[in-house]
Amino acid sequence: MDSQLRETGTRHQWPDRVFHWTMALSVIVLCATAFLPILGLRFDWVPAHWISGFVLAAAILFHWLRVGLVHGVGEMMPGSDDLREVLLDLRARSGTLGPAKYDAYQKGYHWLSGLVVLVLAATGLLMMAKIDTPWWRRDPSILSDAQWGIVYVAHGFASLAIIFLVILHVYFALLPEHWATLKSMVRGRGPLLTRGARHEQEH
Amino acid sequence: MEVLRYTTDVYGRKLLVGASWDLLWVPVALAGLAIIVHQVLRARRRAR
Repeated sequence: MDSQLRETGTRHQWPDRVFHWTMALSVIVLCATAFLPILGLRFDWVPAHWISGFVLAAAILFHWLRVGLVHGVGEMMPGSDDLREVLLDLRARSGTLGPAKYDAYQKGYHWLSGLVVLVLAATGLLMMAKIDTPWWRRDPSILSDAQWGIVYVAHGFASLAIIFLVILHVYFALLPEHWATLKSMVRGRGPLLTRGARHEQEH
Repeated sequence: MEVLRYTTDVYGRKLLVGASWDLLWVPVALAGLAIIVHQVLRARRRAR
């Protein structure tokens, strides 16, 4: 392995780990409360669904604050080296790339899942207008029936997409070659780089 | 297999009510397929 990839340190600070696991837990609760009733398990799923949706929305806001005030977006922005990394992998070749905390696949996953979660959160927050909460009474008249239909379709397809993304995320996290990265999301310490200067086929 | 779900309102109009849950197996199958493809590629790379 590239010696740069063995260099360890604080990969994820504790507020970011708390964010990650809060988001993970809320997404699991959201998926369970959304899909178990569809699969035939009958229970009052609405309160747990909207409360965990609120938790997810708050977690997203917290993440944006951390990005804006602490991290910046630089480490997660795709660049030409990410495209080269994918091309090298497709050709099964090694090559020289810029070292990076996140590789091309992690960045791709982050932006795709970020988009899907944003659609879910935005449409979910709109749908909050259709239920009574301690803070407001339901008011479905904010949108027409046709507009609600579009909101439901977007929420539904995004929820199908999140199933795909969650399964893949768990699969890749559990691969032995990714254990160090997985542990860093628990303990904080881990490899500072996912991609070293010398890119080898490892996945 | 339906892609969208519709209902009919009190005036008999067709209303869109969401994505069809008949599609629930699709993301699971796609994820399973992606995992199989990745495992095959991974095994080939390790054998090289």
